Amino acid sequence: MEQFELLTNWAQVNVEAFVLYALAIIAIPCAFCVLFDRAIIRSGFFLIGVFGAVCGLFLILQAQFLALAQLMIYTVGITLVVVIALMLTNPRLEKEGVAVEGRERFSGLVIATVFFLTIYCALRSESWPLSSLRMNPENVKQIGAALITTYALPFEFASVLLLAALMGAILLAKAEPKNDVSKIAGEN
Amino acid sequence: MKIDGTVVRGDHFSGNIAEIRKFAVMSLSWLTVIFVAVWGVCWALGIFIPMCLANSSFDFAAILSEVCKALTPIAAVLVFIPINAMFMVLMERRALALFTRRNGPNRVGPDGALQTAADAVKLLLKEDITPTGADALMFTLAPIIFFAPSIFGALPLLAAVTNNHKLFQIVDLPTGIFYVLAASSVPVVGIVMGGWASNNKYSLMGGLRSAAQAISYEIPLVLSLVTICLLAGTLDVVSIAYQQSGGLLNWNILGGGALIGLNKAIAALVSSSGAPFAEVMNAYYPYGWLSFVGAAVLCMCTVILFGVYLIGACAEINRIPFDLPEAESELVSGYNTEYSGIKFAIFFLAEFTNLFIVSTIAVVMFLGSGDCPLPTWLNPLSYPAVYEPLAKALSPVLSVLINDLHLINPPTFWAALWVIFKTYSLIFFAILVRGTLPRFRIDQLMDFGWKRLIPITLVIFVLVAFARGVINFHV
Repeated sequence: MEQFELLTNWAQVNVEAFVLYALAIIAIPCAFCVLFDRAIIRSGFFLIGVFGAVCGLFLILQAQFLALAQLMIYTVGITLVVVIALMLTNPRLEKEGVAVEGRERFSGLVIATVFFLTIYCALRSESWPLSSLRMNPENVKQIGAALITTYALPFEFASVLLLAALMGAILLAKAEPKNDVSKIAGEN
Repeated sequence: MKIDGTVVRGDHFSGNIAEIRKFAVMSLSWLTVIFVAVWGVCWALGIFIPMCLANSSFDFAAILSEVCKALTPIAAVLVFIPINAMFMVLMERRALALFTRRNGPNRVGPDGALQTAADAVKLLLKEDITPTGADALMFTLAPIIFFAPSIFGALPLLAAVTNNHKLFQIVDLPTGIFYVLAASSVPVVGIVMGGWASNNKYSLMGGLRSAAQAISYEIPLVLSLVTICLLAGTLDVVSIAYQQSGGLLNWNILGGGALIGLNKAIAALVSSSGAPFAEVMNAYYPYGWLSFVGAAVLCMCTVILFGVYLIGACAEINRIPFDLPEAESELVSGYNTEYSGIKFAIFFLAEFTNLFIVSTIAVVMFLGSGDCPLPTWLNPLSYPAVYEPLAKALSPVLSVLINDLHLINPPTFWAALWVIFKTYSLIFFAILVRGTLPRFRIDQLMDFGWKRLIPITLVIFVLVAFARGVINFHV
């Protein structure tokens, strides 16, 4: 991150702002593509692009560890989502384009509005003080210590939640296939 | 073997020895070319240009020399990857020929040494075809996404393998190994993307298999490295490399530092000066026999972890016996069936580079990085009586190169030499495995990953966490 400062001093501009805009130029069109792309697989890949750009945001915020965790978890996670989408969707339907009914459109709009308002309120209700502190070189150690002291309880709750999700997934996958066709699919 | 099929005694061996000699000569000359070229570029960009600019009075010169220095690591990687991939393909083909008693490529250049260079030119000149019905954007992006992490992912390792040379300190991140692991999880996206975008059922199947395999084997792979980080107490690859300096007993593969005390105690015994044997042992192993049991457990655990790492890495980079995503016999080479020309070349390049990177990670994390395997007390060069006359004899020749031109940096030179030797030995081992083992079946692969490797690594993780409590590390 010192390189940023060197460059900033030399070029007389705020390099961080430039990088921020560059990342936004990647992230926002990718996000729109996620929404509007017909092929669900492709929108999955665009989602990876969005998360990649968010990883870059974490990097310019000097949160190296978070950026890497973002990359590692989301790239692999979204690959999984893409694979599941591949298995659950019918590629022929994508080309035809299913018309959306009026009532579905309305409920979608309501859900989107409520969701947007929730996130907007959550973001605005918090104050975001700017800090000019340098990143501690022992950043990772501090995150580790905080996770098992201050945030021990949320951390444990999150792991129990994940465990429950895992068990649920196993239960779903374990359901014995009834007819022959699904049996073959289950073996694969 | 005679024509009628009878084996003449001794023929078995003598028939191959000429081929082995050719293989060795070929490898050594290629390695010399590779690393002289890479270091030449680094030196020119990072030392020579700034040295020339230091005398100039431009305002701009200081910035330019800083930029040159900052670009050195990436330039090194960019020069290294293509030449190295060419050599590794050749090495693989020649070595496989050795194992199966064939000749291998031997027409282009002396003993076939230029075969892959010719292949590379051919690949680049080929027509680049995008199949009908393919998603052109994703089809083009896939090789890039597959290849990019192998350029950026290995950067932190550069500092660790060159003994923290000042040109490469810029890439020494505090989250080193985590960065490498995060980068190594990206290529699977490229494979799935390429498989889907090709509009080919075989490719799609290869992509799906690759996703399943990479995700299953990433867990034991990461867990094995995390356990080593737990022993080392840091994620920084340079610190991990430094902790292992001082001979075989300090390496992470033997207890992750559990034998450092033994090493120091023997050194004290040999030098017969300083603290006595028992005192040093007590400082490192304070709980008597319990500590020794702990050390034994740690040694066993780390050896198993090394095995788990090698298996996981093999699966992660889709090498035989885990090459299900590109199984030729069932999937007609899987995700890259439809690729040709330069895009195929990029896939190929990335695959071999990934093999090199995982071998380097193994060397840095387990095999002591650039450390000589001889313990310091056994190594004749570490005694001043041997070392000093040698240095004196060589100094008139080398001092210009070392002190004036900075063309040779002795600590970096020796470290790099050992890393090169160890890494290519591991690569040779990977080729040996390829020449030996048949391919897994997909259900066997999944069973082995989830039911064997992951429980083993989890048990070892817990064992290590307890065992490290009874020994003093890195006092």
